[in-house]
Amino acid sequence: MRRTLNFIYAAAGYLAAFFIFAIFVVMIGQTIMRELGMRTGGTDDIVAWACAAAAFLAMADTFKRGDFVRVGLLLESLGPKTRQAFEIGSLAVASAFCAYLAFWACRFTFESWQFNDMANGLIVIPLWIPQLSFVVGALILCLAVVDEFVIVLSGRRPTYVIATEERHARGDFTEDV
Amino acid sequence: MNLVEIAGLLLIIMMLFLAGGVWIAMTLAIVGFIGMAFFTGTPPGKNLFTAFWGSNASWTLAALPMFIWMGEILFRTKLSEEMFEGLSPWLNKIPGRLMHTTILGCGIFGSVSGSSAATCATIAKVALPELVKRGYDEKIALGSLATAGTLGILIPPSITMVVYAVAADASIIRIFLAGFIPGFILMALFSGYIVVWALRNPDKTPPPGPEMNFMEKVRASGNLIPCAALIIFIIWVLVAGLATATECAAYGVLGSLAIAWWGGSLTWRSFIDSLMGATRVSCMIMFILAGASFLSMTMAYTGIPRALAEWVASLALSPYALIGVLAVLYIILGTALDGISMIVLTSAVVLPMIQKAGFDLIWFGIFIVLLVEIAEVTPPVGFNLFVLQNMTGKDSNYIAKCSLPFFACLVLCIAIITVFPATVTWLPDAVMNKK
Repeated sequence: MRRTLNFIYAAAGYLAAFFIFAIFVVMIGQTIMRELGMRTGGTDDIVAWACAAAAFLAMADTFKRGDFVRVGLLLESLGPKTRQAFEIGSLAVASAFCAYLAFWACRFTFESWQFNDMANGLIVIPLWIPQLSFVVGALILCLAVVDEFVIVLSGRRPTYVIATEERHARGDFTEDV
Repeated sequence: MNLVEIAGLLLIIMMLFLAGGVWIAMTLAIVGFIGMAFFTGTPPGKNLFTAFWGSNASWTLAALPMFIWMGEILFRTKLSEEMFEGLSPWLNKIPGRLMHTTILGCGIFGSVSGSSAATCATIAKVALPELVKRGYDEKIALGSLATAGTLGILIPPSITMVVYAVAADASIIRIFLAGFIPGFILMALFSGYIVVWALRNPDKTPPPGPEMNFMEKVRASGNLIPCAALIIFIIWVLVAGLATATECAAYGVLGSLAIAWWGGSLTWRSFIDSLMGATRVSCMIMFILAGASFLSMTMAYTGIPRALAEWVASLALSPYALIGVLAVLYIILGTALDGISMIVLTSAVVLPMIQKAGFDLIWFGIFIVLLVEIAEVTPPVGFNLFVLQNMTGKDSNYIAKCSLPFFACLVLCIAIITVFPATVTWLPDAVMNKK
């Protein structure tokens, strides 16, 4: 179970990274094609969708690794017991929000599909195809947050706190930008 | 409830959630939800989707992960160590000595990076341990790093400027060019403060390192060549018209990969690490942008920003007073909002007002970037404070306190460009023909 869940978060993370790499390739390719006198209008849409896909798909992985910023001012001054209570509170709020976000991602994209909304750029494809990245990303984020909620409710320390501490113990601050 | 009470209530809710440890991006979106669901007649669900999708599926925003990736690649090279070594021999005689590496380092790195947080993190990674090891004052080091890091968005390329240019329908290249001279002025002010501080506290500056002769210094500065080559490469790509300002971000990645390859630090492992790191950092920022964009949408529906802008317009102020009021307004907004949403949120109401008062849009762009720089070092949502908090484990309020004198330099710089607008407009007018 644990391994399956971790695999899902990591896989979505790698997929997001692939989209970042795709933006890089398309942008360079676009300038070269323009120099060669080819039409490049549609690439702007591809880049925008890749950008959205990268942002949404990476959410769960980013959350689990403790890279989402929060204000630690009060949290870090609390004793372990009160801190755990605050983590439960934060995760309850986060779970509710992520469930709401995932619900609307699904509903809106479902309606795009139902009414056959088309992209109004140069690449005319049904909008639900790029929007699918939002659906998948939001669902996996919701899964990750609820997963974390269960972990903390059962009395264990949150994964994102441990992950951040371990990284800082290694002296690695590259992800804290 | 009137608008002021609603704004106050939302602000209190936001502060409670933030203090309780709810993630910032989620807090912004939740406050946006509360505002929209209870104080407007608009159903929030669809708008939530539109805000999140619209802010992330953006061609302009795609430059963001590129600039971040570029920073991540350069972060994993020896560039910042080389910069430190190349700069330090020249600074032995200046009061404050190596403390100036933070300012110069951020200035130089700012010209290859479009982000204030990335600039701050890259320079802090090398400069902070070196300075603390040699016994330099930690407070000044933290303050100068937090604030000088913001040079990343004033010295082009700059993500913030790209966003402004889109919002104001102004030329990106013109704004990029306009950023150079204020960037130099700001660096001079920062370094000037360090000199004055060092002269007043001679006991707090450790003794100089071993003196080198002139040729040794020049040889040590050879370390600066890769960075200079990257800057020239990016400017060449832009000026030659090969790439637009957005696409030059991808060329920045290409150049950075070349530097990493040349320096022998490009391995499959470091490539994947930098890419994954960039992915997560971009995701974190874009999640905040999405949340802020939903909050901005709610704000627009409630009419709070418009009420503010109308109130300012109703005062019929002189141009200088207007600039003063706007500066205060942006500083207040900046305590809660990030720079990019601040610009997007206000541009529709503030820009017509500004043009009416006879200010140049390019000039106002630099003005607003300087105010965003202030926002970056103002709690509770100051990005550079978070970066340094994470790197050092020091409390972000402590770091904000350390940045206060440099914060004053930023305010002074705003005064200078307001009294002498030519400092901003001269370079773009000289390089490109006058409008």
